[in-house]
Amino acid sequence: MFKDIFLFELNYRKARAANYIYFLIMFLLCFLAVTTDVVQIGGAVGQVKENAPVVIAQMIVIMGVFMSLIASAIMGVAVLRDFEHNTEAILFSTPIKKVSYLMGRYWGSFVVLLLVATSLPIAFMLGDLWPTREADRLLPFNMVTYWQPFFVFVVPNLFFTGALFFASGALSRKSIVIYTQGILLLVLYLASQSMLRDIEQKEIAALLDPFGVRAFSLYTQYWTPGERNALQIPMEGYILYNRLIWVSVGVVVLVITHFSFSFNVVRSSIFRSRPIKEERNQIKPEETKIPVARQFTGLTTHIGQLAKLTFFYFQMVFKEIPFIAIVISGMLLMFLNAINLNELYGTSSYPTTYSILGLLSGFNLFFVIIAVLYSGELVWKERAVNLNLIIDAMPMPDFISLTSKFLGLLLVYLVLLFGLIVCGVLIQASYGYYKFELGVYFASLYSETLLFLVLYTLLSMFIQVMVNNKFLGFAVAIAFFILVGFLGQMGLEHPLFQFGSGSLGTYSDMNVYGHFVTPFTWFQIYWFAFVVFLFALAVIFSVRGSEAVMRMRWKSGKLRLSRQLVLLIASAVVIFISSGFYIFYNTNILNEYSNSDQGEARQVEYEKTLKKYEFRAQPRIVKIDLAVDLFPRKRDFTAEGYFILKNKTNEPIQDIHIQENPASEVKTEYLRFDRKNGVTEKFDKFRYTIYTLEEPLRPGDSLRMDFKTVFQTNGFVETGRSNTQVIFNGTFFNNGYFPSLGYDRGFEISDDNDRKEKGLPERERMMERNDPRGRAMSLFGDDADHIDFTMRISTDKDQTAIAPGYLVRQWEDNGRLYFEYDMDAPMCNFFSMISARYEIKRDKWRDVTLEIYYHKGHEYNLTKMMEGMKDALDYYAKNFSPFQFRQMRIMEFPRYATFAQSFANTVPFSEGIGFIQKVDDPDKDLDMAYYVTAHEVAHQWWGHQVMEAGVKGNAMLSETMSQYSALMVMKNKFSEEIIEKYLKYELDRYLSGRAFEQKKEQPLALVESQGYIHYNKGSLVMYALQDYIGEDSVNIALKRFVRDWGFKDAPYPTSDDLLKYFRAVTPDSLQYLIGDMFETITLFENKAESAEYRETGNNAFEVTLKLATEKLRADSTGIETPIAINDWIDVGVYGKSKAGKDSLIYLKKHKFTQKENEIKVMVNAKPRKAGIDPLHKLIDRHSDDNTKGVVKKGEG
Amino acid sequence: MQLVIQNLNKTYANGVQALKDVSLTIRQGMFGLLGPNGAGKSSLMRTIATLQEADSGSITLGDLNVLTQKDEVRKILGYLPQEFGVYPRVDAVTLLDHLAVLKGIRQKGERTDLVNALLHKTNLWNARTKNLGGYSGGMKQRFGIAQALIANPKLIIVDEPTAGLDPAERNRFLNLLSEIGENTIVILSTHIVEDVKELCTDMAIINKGQVLYKGSPADALAEVSGKVWKKAIAKAELEAYRKSHHIISERLIAGRPVITVLSEHSPEDGFERATADLEDVYFANIFGHAKPEPVA
Repeated sequence: MFKDIFLFELNYRKARAANYIYFLIMFLLCFLAVTTDVVQIGGAVGQVKENAPVVIAQMIVIMGVFMSLIASAIMGVAVLRDFEHNTEAILFSTPIKKVSYLMGRYWGSFVVLLLVATSLPIAFMLGDLWPTREADRLLPFNMVTYWQPFFVFVVPNLFFTGALFFASGALSRKSIVIYTQGILLLVLYLASQSMLRDIEQKEIAALLDPFGVRAFSLYTQYWTPGERNALQIPMEGYILYNRLIWVSVGVVVLVITHFSFSFNVVRSSIFRSRPIKEERNQIKPEETKIPVARQFTGLTTHIGQLAKLTFFYFQMVFKEIPFIAIVISGMLLMFLNAINLNELYGTSSYPTTYSILGLLSGFNLFFVIIAVLYSGELVWKERAVNLNLIIDAMPMPDFISLTSKFLGLLLVYLVLLFGLIVCGVLIQASYGYYKFELGVYFASLYSETLLFLVLYTLLSMFIQVMVNNKFLGFAVAIAFFILVGFLGQMGLEHPLFQFGSGSLGTYSDMNVYGHFVTPFTWFQIYWFAFVVFLFALAVIFSVRGSEAVMRMRWKSGKLRLSRQLVLLIASAVVIFISSGFYIFYNTNILNEYSNSDQGEARQVEYEKTLKKYEFRAQPRIVKIDLAVDLFPRKRDFTAEGYFILKNKTNEPIQDIHIQENPASEVKTEYLRFDRKNGVTEKFDKFRYTIYTLEEPLRPGDSLRMDFKTVFQTNGFVETGRSNTQVIFNGTFFNNGYFPSLGYDRGFEISDDNDRKEKGLPERERMMERNDPRGRAMSLFGDDADHIDFTMRISTDKDQTAIAPGYLVRQWEDNGRLYFEYDMDAPMCNFFSMISARYEIKRDKWRDVTLEIYYHKGHEYNLTKMMEGMKDALDYYAKNFSPFQFRQMRIMEFPRYATFAQSFANTVPFSEGIGFIQKVDDPDKDLDMAYYVTAHEVAHQWWGHQVMEAGVKGNAMLSETMSQYSALMVMKNKFSEEIIEKYLKYELDRYLSGRAFEQKKEQPLALVESQGYIHYNKGSLVMYALQDYIGEDSVNIALKRFVRDWGFKDAPYPTSDDLLKYFRAVTPDSLQYLIGDMFETITLFENKAESAEYRETGNNAFEVTLKLATEKLRADSTGIETPIAINDWIDVGVYGKSKAGKDSLIYLKKHKFTQKENEIKVMVNAKPRKAGIDPLHKLIDRHSDDNTKGVVKKGEG
Repeated sequence: MQLVIQNLNKTYANGVQALKDVSLTIRQGMFGLLGPNGAGKSSLMRTIATLQEADSGSITLGDLNVLTQKDEVRKILGYLPQEFGVYPRVDAVTLLDHLAVLKGIRQKGERTDLVNALLHKTNLWNARTKNLGGYSGGMKQRFGIAQALIANPKLIIVDEPTAGLDPAERNRFLNLLSEIGENTIVILSTHIVEDVKELCTDMAIINKGQVLYKGSPADALAEVSGKVWKKAIAKAELEAYRKSHHIISERLIAGRPVITVLSEHSPEDGFERATADLEDVYFANIFGHAKPEPVA
């Protein structure tokens, strides 16, 4: 019996076109994902090959999650079908057994589902064998790569989700459940993900994830590129446990289904039905007279009809169960995300309105689903319930039906948006934040979000009307979005081709909506006219009556072309075209436009034409004197003044190569030298000019270069491309806008794959440490060593303008404020110009003035930042060298960028970090404002006092040393727990960072601008170093280093130089550390295998530990080889402190010389937990197994 | 006012010719449109109800061109499609009121009175607050009738309205129609001959898109009167009779086939002259000219 039902199911499904379509859709998605850029799912980065096992597995796992939508459709109908087709009464009266019926249907459908799912591995296999793929980015073909993840992930997932959907279809007997449960599961899944995001809960998350995605990423998170290319995904560890859990759940679901499923056709409803009241009054239909009711036509009536229908559809949508489910899931997701708002190293921010708006934008996905789904539902509403002929014969104008459906949805959106605002305010209030900026809420949501919804709704209604098939309509809508993406790939990146383009940009407390309002408005007009045009077409072609053929629809549509409708179409077309031209005029004529291909082509040409000049000897800037006038309201500035250039080489210099900034806003009004010269060659395209001096500049000679740079903002460009440095309030830019000397390597294409595509040779990211050309230039480039700096800077009267140096003079003239800054000591050639409406907080450290320029309302963390500056200055002055300036300033700038940067006595600090952070619990949360301040102040030493050479390993001297300095300041300030937490994040970031290395992982001493190395590994290494050799020793080394290398011109120091100082203070027994930490990539596998204790007397315990340790050396792709161990490693034992927390009662370094070790230690309190390297000072990929609970001997 | 249909043609995209050169003149009163399933009745009615385009031909209602002045026609139209559904989670009062608004009954008070009267008239008053999704087939059909009567339509088109009604409801409904039909054009399509016989002053029989007969039921009866012959035969003979005679209908009476033949004279022995019935007219028109098909 089972067999018959099973086979029947297969045969039945064989004939269903839907199954083939599902297969085709999944196949195409996967196939296009690997053969084109149109579809993006996961993918390979850097050295990881495109068909590496992990890459394929990840794509299969992700697509496997989406397979649950198909599982919902296939498995849900297995039993429901009988109820839908009313065959249940026939079927259930036959003598089949329930178990055969259910299992036959389940397994039959499941096999079909699996066959559909084979589309994933098949598509990836074919995709990888496709001839257009580049062989050198692929590994040799291996069948296992494709099928292993299929069996490990997809099959168990489908078994579980299939069982779930099968059960809900069989038990609910409602088709609406089938259509929505897949989406609902996905939504709930996404929601649960954000809940499990926190680093502490990774293991639990890995088990709870029904699709195994978390288990997969936990298992592979720290795999290095080498491992990613080599290893298959095994069925072990968390992956195995996860799979076992969810397959078991699937079995349980099936068993429950079996016992809950009833063969009865009629079921007693769960809800008691209301008793029907019989009205006793006698009704005599024959005697009823139908009264005369006046029938009206005309505008008032039509408006009444429109209003009535609008409200009717509005209510209808709100009554839909799936709609409510989508809204609830969306809100749920938001509230969950609200729990960890804007976290940075586990520390939250104040829930400012813009950050809440960012949170609310998480609802946009749900909005798109609602817009596409319900515009389809409403267009089809009457036809779905078969009321269409009645409604269509009603005497209302043709536009009313579609218009009221649109307005009904619009009303839905208005209400939902209002609901979102209420949610936002509630979230803020729940954080105890009461600065509700309702204006910002309304301005953002009721403009950008609402318009985006209007565009998508009208478009989707148009598609539904034209396609005239609901599900095909949904498919076409999705295809449309893919097509738009495809246009981008084809080079049609211009926002005029990108449906719905034009965003309101990033909101900043400082700059509000800034200059984004203008492009936003124009783009919205443009797209709105477009969709109004489409909507008018939809009105013409919408089906009224029973004609579905296009020719007939046009025949009746022609009759609808009233004067008003024609006028509407004509004006929509006129507005669309003219606003399009206006936008084009602004983006392409007033401003320069190039798509990414053209941009890259120009980069290639630049390199090919001018690379030969890269190392051409040039004079260096020794003095800068500029007058900069900022016009924030017009977003313009001018800079006029001079550079003194000095020939510091031993050869005369005849040619001066000038590179102007290529941005289209920037013009050099004049540029002249105080010696006779002529232009030898001019590359206008690259703004590169070679001037030849009549009299060469002799060694030691100087010349003066006068110039005027004008930055002028013309019209507008789209939000994403617009300049966010020169703005209404919060202007912040650096000397990059001014002319520079010689070829700029920064313009080259850096990605090796892209370079290869363009026929350029691979290039090293940085020069070798011993390269004299590199040693001769500092990290700030080869234009200058140290400079004399003076700047007069002016701005609008209500703003303060700031540049490096000390304020010498300030005056007002002609309604503008002028500031004159002068730096009395040589500084590096890197300076910022800043202007905004500022409040100032002042303080003093010794005789140094401290100032924070901040935006009014951002007072939260000023005290901490001030403290950070003082503590940092204290520590650095005491341990390294005296502070070189008389003043230190921090100034806030808008959150278009989120960093802080150290210029001479000046630190611009983004509004998005620090200023709005909120430390809930000073014992647990890292104080980012304090830490970033300390880091940036440290750069006044590491970078400004000691400029390093522009070669490999340079960031170790500036960034790593600043990390170390800030870490030491924090160590003095905060509890050990906070430092531990901080280091744990650093370890995670380092290990994750190296997993996605693009080119090759370098040892710290040779770091090539790899943030995960010079910041995150840097912190770990320096913390360990000071722990091993002592903080004082490290500081002595640094003190000597500054003494010898501070304030020096070329040649500049390298990491090799610094390491000499470290070696000098390191005892012989620990010299190996320098090699392990800085010069190689060394990792440990430390593990506590067992821990037992024995009470040997009153408060005396002997702890016996079995500890495993392995020392590994990794190459640049992360392939590890074990090496001999002869290392000192911490052994620690935890007891219980008075507060009931774990506290170390034993911590001492032991020497390890082999893998397996047994160690006995004595402690004087009851041990609870013990192990090796308990504080994670060494880099260990499995840091959670370092300690183990201690058990009493004989019990474990 | 009369409805004039001239040379109406319609071929669907799948090649089926639904209407072939249909010409009819329909006056005020009840007009019966008789024909088997798939004859083109619904196509014709939808075209009159402004819901379908014609390939050629014309329809005029008084001065109105039905094919182009659709809005004008809709104002005076009451239409009950053959099959229709309702919003399941809405009650009868709400939906009827909703439809009345769409009909242009703007005054709230008048609308309420009208809706209440219609619900009484169609015997739905007691179920007025029940969701339409819970209605039985008959109740739903009565709701359909109620909505077709909103705003005193001058042209009422009811497509197979009595299907699914029990005999009492059917009577009530037909009475209602005839009451209204006095100064209104009512077009009633049906495949039930009885409906037409009892109510209509005029009728047409159509099959395969063609009008086979038009006139009053009385004239139609007169046309076949005296020409209808019946004979009870053995089952085994049926095949032979089918070949030898032009049978217009076959039916079983007490288990024996009784065949009906249309003829001026007695076709052969054993045939008895029968009283002509409208049904005979119907069968005569449907099968009289073409090859007969078995009915039972």
